[in-house]
Amino acid sequence: MEDLIRIKDLTVRFYTYEGVVHAIDDLDLDIRQGETLGIVGETGSGKSMTALAILRLIPYPGKIESGSIVFCDKDSSGELELLKLREDKMRAIRGNKISMVFQEPGAALNPVYTIGDQISEVYLLHRRQELGCRARDRVDSLLSDGNGLAAGLKRPFWRWQSRLYSKIAEEPRAVEPRLLNRTPLFRRLLWRLRDEASRLTVNMLKDVEIPDPVRVAAEYPHELSGGMKQRAVIAMALACSPELLIADEPTTSLDVTIQAQMLELFRRIKVDRGASVLFITHNLGVASEVCDRVAVMYAGRLCEVCTIEELFLHPLHPYTRALLDAVPMPGKELQTIPGALADALNPPPGCRFHPRCPSATPLCQQERPKLKLVGKDHMVACYLY
Amino acid sequence: MLLLIPVLFGVTVFIFGITMLFSPIERASLYVRSARQMSNLPLIIETYGLDRPFWEQYGTWVSQVFHGNLGWSTVVHMPVWDAIWSFLPATVELAIFATPIIILAGIFLGSQAAAHKDKAVDHLSRVAAIAGWSLPTFWLGLVLLMVFYGYFRGILPPDRLNHQMSIVVNSADFVRYTHINTLDAILNLNGPVLLDALRHLILPVTTLSIVSVAFIMRLMRSSMLESLGKGYILTARAKGLAERVVINKHARRNALIPVITVSGYVFAGLANGVVITETIFTFKGIGWWAAQAATRLDIASVLGFALFNAVLFVGVNLIVDILYTRVDPRVRLGGVMQ
Amino acid sequence: MVRQLARNPLSLAGIIIIFIFAIIAIFAPLIAPTPAGHGDPYLIPRDGYWATPQLPSEEHPFGTTEGQYDIFYGVIWGTRSAFRVGLVVIGIVVVIGIILGSLAGYLGGVIDEVIMRITDIFLAFPALILAMAIVTVMEPSLTSIMIALIVVSWPSYARLIRGDILQVREEDYIEASRGLGASNARVIIRHALPNAIYPTVIMASLDIGAVVLSAAALSFLGLGAPEGYADWGQLTSFARNWIVGPSADPLRYWFAVTIPGLFILFFVLGWNLLGDAFRDIFDPRLARR
Repeated sequence: MEDLIRIKDLTVRFYTYEGVVHAIDDLDLDIRQGETLGIVGETGSGKSMTALAILRLIPYPGKIESGSIVFCDKDSSGELELLKLREDKMRAIRGNKISMVFQEPGAALNPVYTIGDQISEVYLLHRRQELGCRARDRVDSLLSDGNGLAAGLKRPFWRWQSRLYSKIAEEPRAVEPRLLNRTPLFRRLLWRLRDEASRLTVNMLKDVEIPDPVRVAAEYPHELSGGMKQRAVIAMALACSPELLIADEPTTSLDVTIQAQMLELFRRIKVDRGASVLFITHNLGVASEVCDRVAVMYAGRLCEVCTIEELFLHPLHPYTRALLDAVPMPGKELQTIPGALADALNPPPGCRFHPRCPSATPLCQQERPKLKLVGKDHMVACYLY
Repeated sequence: MLLLIPVLFGVTVFIFGITMLFSPIERASLYVRSARQMSNLPLIIETYGLDRPFWEQYGTWVSQVFHGNLGWSTVVHMPVWDAIWSFLPATVELAIFATPIIILAGIFLGSQAAAHKDKAVDHLSRVAAIAGWSLPTFWLGLVLLMVFYGYFRGILPPDRLNHQMSIVVNSADFVRYTHINTLDAILNLNGPVLLDALRHLILPVTTLSIVSVAFIMRLMRSSMLESLGKGYILTARAKGLAERVVINKHARRNALIPVITVSGYVFAGLANGVVITETIFTFKGIGWWAAQAATRLDIASVLGFALFNAVLFVGVNLIVDILYTRVDPRVRLGGVMQ
Repeated sequence: MVRQLARNPLSLAGIIIIFIFAIIAIFAPLIAPTPAGHGDPYLIPRDGYWATPQLPSEEHPFGTTEGQYDIFYGVIWGTRSAFRVGLVVIGIVVVIGIILGSLAGYLGGVIDEVIMRITDIFLAFPALILAMAIVTVMEPSLTSIMIALIVVSWPSYARLIRGDILQVREEDYIEASRGLGASNARVIIRHALPNAIYPTVIMASLDIGAVVLSAAALSFLGLGAPEGYADWGQLTSFARNWIVGPSADPLRYWFAVTIPGLFILFFVLGWNLLGDAFRDIFDPRLARR
């Protein structure tokens, strides 16, 4: 399988009031075409930051210090270095080629706009040409089919509309439509674009299994349940058939029953659309349901990367082992990981996990272990191997 | 909305209660309609039963109010009702110019301060806002007059019109449609009057607006900051929207909500400010009239003015409530939450 | 908290300003001594009876205003008046607000409704206009201004406290407290109020400035302190006739206009800065990361 995203030496630091936080430290990770890669870790392990780094949305006071993120675009020119891309080209990728779903669907949706509006926004932004095409075709069919007096009077208007939408379809930078879009009152003349976008939106809502999509599109976020909201957010993310869908703990805030439906949806996405999914979670059970491969992170660093079966059958890194042991099971005594999470401001030297590791050696304190390939497609960063 | 009725009722009882602190002779001026009646107060006392029990008198008074009888204004020698309507156009003129300035300037400056948080623009606007909020309006007015009227030899004078222009405006050729000088000038296609009226408006409108602009600006800034910190902003950016669109379309609409709820207070601030501003600039609107009345202890006028304002304020709050439900879909009347 | 206040340059400025004014107020008799045998120290001594204000001189550091009232004396002793008005009004208003707000918020039901309707009635009037009406009805004086401002201001505080108490009432630690057998009053005083106090402190410090501004405005209109009383608003009202000097020297009487106004401005500014600083400290959402 080819790589879709290649992350190398990624370092992200946060310059806060209290000091410098090393959110991500020299991370190397690959996401392959058509796979669902999970990133598993506790809060503060840097998993969400990795996702935001790919989209270059790290919030202030964070900064991407160094590293490279290469995106291998299927349709276009090959490899793009995302961290060096110009901002407007980056914007063309966000929501279009790479999109993201967040943890709290309620917070992700703007309360003052309808669901339909918010999803259509993506189409109007990234698929303008296609919308222009469809609109023009619709007007053209009106022109050819229209009979009678009413049609006759409207003809010149339709002809102008047809020309307008053709312009949008063929020359995206044409002046006339852009000018119209800027002026508040005349913007209404481009209503067909919005109309076409709505049709696409309703289709998308159907795709994510939202019942009665026409009605839902006209509703506001507060009128929907948690599960429906999350589906709407997913619809928004999938609207332009992205090559990579990043999901940051998408099921964490939902009921267990809804969770199961959501995971089924994610499985389907991969199959139907051939998209890769970067699935971030702290729940190993959820990861086992959706992911092909898993990367385990601790304190901003990778511990282990392997297939999901390997993770459960042959966990190598002590942290991974501890995570699996910590899952509560009936009959088994509750296992915890001793010690506290690594201090973000003053992390332990060498291997970050060594203060809590049962197999720590003096070497672990001194130098950071590098990711090593151990067996087929299984990488660990630990001196035990 | 039904709560309005007890409030209005309470307001009238309150005003009436205040009047009952006076003796019947003093209260008589509240029922007088003409100069002739003023000289025959015992008759008034008889006619309106000013020595009857409280609730009877209340009933009489309320019915008189509904008939437009708010008493006699000793200060301007006309019935209070007439005084209100004759001085109102001047105040409305001030409001017409001040309100858009306050709203637009406040919202714009507040958004800019929020968008450039912690940079020079933000700090400057914060200082300006605090200074503006601390300014005594009357002092600002005096200083402005001192500079622009005194020092600059009358570039921006007080009152509504120059002497010459007043003559023009009161002449037979000039039709007074609304008694609002600027509007009338436009309707009469009279350029010089329009210019003169505008010249006289600059200082009062500025004085009136500054405090409110400072208030709105600060509110808009904190509201925008809160809005910009919300999750849907990150989502909007993740969709690939340009920063300008994110701020204007997504953040601002939410940020406006608290500002709208506050606009009732802005109106109250304007009502207060008008009293002082009109006095300083001798701009003969209802504020000026009320201040004159207060100094001469013209009870009927002052109470009539207070009542008028209260009713107006209640009406404004009603409109604000309706606007609020239009803007925030979460608050739609009769909406059902899942 | 004091450290946090001191860190922010603007709040530091506010504290310094108020401190300076406090010193002026306390040491007024020393800074601007009352002439011997003058009588009430709050009445500004007059150096003659001419109408025209005199320029600042050795004898009158800030000059004199109409009627030969010494401006320097006036603004110094006016500081005392300002503090008196501000602190007394806000002090009483906060107490009334706490009592009525707590009753309404905690006891709810009919009491809540009644108190809320009463505040609605008072809040239906724009503040200055209601104050004006009240002062007109009573004999205009500084005391009646204070009473009027108290009447006008208390509803906002009652509402604020009530809102906070309502919020806090649902919190778990109140339930816990009652579960342990605490009486209503105890719960209110020891648990609900301390948390409700922060927004009140913010509003109170901002309001001291606002109250002094309103009092000055009313005095300026002639509805407050009697003529010649040491009150900033009163002093400014004299200047109304002297905005424009002779045509050769139009800004001649600037001191009569500007100086009392500056005192008001800085006094209010100090309290506003302090209130703003309190807001930054007590409102965790706006805290820096």
